[in-house]
Amino acid sequence: MFLAWNEIKKNKLRFVLITGVLMLVAYLVFFLSGLATGLKDLNRESVDKWKASAIILTEESDKSLYQSSMFLDQVEEVNADETAVIGQLNAIAGNGSQKKNVSLFGIRKEEFLMPEVTEGKPFAGENEVIADDSLKEEGFSLGDELSLSSSEEKLTIVGFTDKARFNAAPVLYADLETFHMVKYGEGADANNDRINGIVIRNGEGDVIQDDALQVIEIEDFIQNLPGYTEQNMTLTFMIYFLFAISAVIVAIFLYVLTVQKISMFGVMKAQGISSFYLSKSVIAQTFLLAAIGVIIGMALTLTTGAFLPAAVPVSFDLPTMLIYGAVLIAVAIAGALFSVLTIVRIDPLKAIGG
Amino acid sequence: MTTVLELKQVTKTFGSGHKKVEALKNTEFKADRGELIAIIGPSGSGKSTFLTLVGGLLTPTSGDVILNGQNITKMSEKERSQIRLNEIGFILQASNLIPFLTVAKQMKLLNKVKKGNMSVGEMEQLYEDLGIGDLRGKYPSDLSGGERQRVAIAKALYSNPSIVLADEPTASLDSDRAYEVMELLKRETKSKKTTSIVVTHDTRLTDYCDKVYYMTDGVLKLQEEN
Ligand SMILES: Nc1ncnc2c1ncn2[C@@H]1O[C@H](COP(=O)(O)OP(=O)(O)OP(=O)(O)O)[C@@H](O)[C@H]1O
Ligand SMILES: [Mg+2]
Repeated sequence: MFLAWNEIKKNKLRFVLITGVLMLVAYLVFFLSGLATGLKDLNRESVDKWKASAIILTEESDKSLYQSSMFLDQVEEVNADETAVIGQLNAIAGNGSQKKNVSLFGIRKEEFLMPEVTEGKPFAGENEVIADDSLKEEGFSLGDELSLSSSEEKLTIVGFTDKARFNAAPVLYADLETFHMVKYGEGADANNDRINGIVIRNGEGDVIQDDALQVIEIEDFIQNLPGYTEQNMTLTFMIYFLFAISAVIVAIFLYVLTVQKISMFGVMKAQGISSFYLSKSVIAQTFLLAAIGVIIGMALTLTTGAFLPAAVPVSFDLPTMLIYGAVLIAVAIAGALFSVLTIVRIDPLKAIGG
Repeated sequence: MTTVLELKQVTKTFGSGHKKVEALKNTEFKADRGELIAIIGPSGSGKSTFLTLVGGLLTPTSGDVILNGQNITKMSEKERSQIRLNEIGFILQASNLIPFLTVAKQMKLLNKVKKGNMSVGEMEQLYEDLGIGDLRGKYPSDLSGGERQRVAIAKALYSNPSIVLADEPTASLDSDRAYEVMELLKRETKSKKTTSIVVTHDTRLTDYCDKVYYMTDGVLKLQEEN
């Protein structure tokens, strides 16, 4: 540490440069991870809110809630602690001045899919809905009358709830009757026993007997939301790539510094200072630079995050950031091992050579 | 007089076949405590080879090097590194200072890595003896050649090594500075009762030494004893 720190103090510029590069890489990593978390939330937060273990959809639907269609009374055959039925459709909702793509959930008020209302009141009668509060930022408010792209029905926002977006669209919660009216219009009465799926908590043994139905673990269901896995993999891949890049940057930079100091290291080894001590110093130096870079990068990310418009889907998950920060530092140290190898190989005789 | 260093039938050959160089031929050598010894001789005669063998940086092809009663030829590289650290002080032609440490911190580094540490009082004495007390806060790049060599000597003498090995320590200095450095080395050798072996081209410097050896073609001969 003594050598490491004194060298940094004497040669500030070169170490500020490497720290700066590491900081930018860390900034990018943190930002991408924030974006990844944000996009994930955008897709899954309403599903996470269910706190469910699985969902039952038809085999034919291929794990798509929208494509699945079954009957209300099928819920009786389900073997689970708790069940909740769900109907779902996508629509464009407008309040006269704003239009927004939304997802309408038809649920039963007394079942566990019923969200907690953070503002206003729960839906009570026909055509009343609870809306995701992200709609407030889009210019919707309590009491707004919504016209829908696919239906003649008009819905009224009577309450808001938080964290309720499904596959990137804010959710409107309504009772099953309202849902049927919106979905089938004139034919609502004839189809009033139609739902899309059954959400369950703690299914036991054979949850269902029906071969036409399929029990899908919630995580599996989420992975199959349109675009979810692809989006995630793209961002994760970019982050891993950045880890590799930072390892290479650190390796090259430290290697150049080490090569410059070969004769100095040689003299020190001739004087009996061990390779171990010198290597420790290089590792300590890398740790310092990487840690400083990561900390500044993290601070910068959080600061940027605070000033971003709400429309940018970033959300910072501190545990994830800490893990990525630790990985960045570890990866930088791995890059330094290359220099350690060089130091171990230095022949003190060559340095002394007269 | 106690013997600090003894070489018994030491030879060193480099390469093999027709490229074979006998850098050191069957050499017997002894050095006592408090002696300042000079080795002179033409270029390529084997002076540095001799010094690196004594310093445990090279192992002899045959024979034994015994330092303070320990046979260093039988030691592992790790053990020899420890011996170099704690019992040998090196002074090199080019300065062996660390560019990013001030004079005081060069000493502090030794304090961290060496076993036998100096007290503050001994440290002050060393600074004073070598006249480098005012240079403490300076970096090597801000020192003159002579000042740098004085600091190098201070490093070599730090915590009283058994033996100080200097390979052309005055080569980069003008003759006034060279005399000064030799004078210093002599004084410290005497007062600290260490043994110093100095390789040099400059025959005028040998006046300071107790013994002068002459090296030709790998053969070491005692030339004069003062
Ligand atoms: N590593 C080596 N490999 C092969 N030959 C070597 C090696 N080191 C030294 N020699 C040879 O051994 C001989 C003695 O070299 P040495 O460096 O000891 O000479 P020197 O007396 O110190 O010369 P100078 O006064 O020029 O420093 C020379 O012929 C040299 O070429
Ligand atoms: Mg030489």
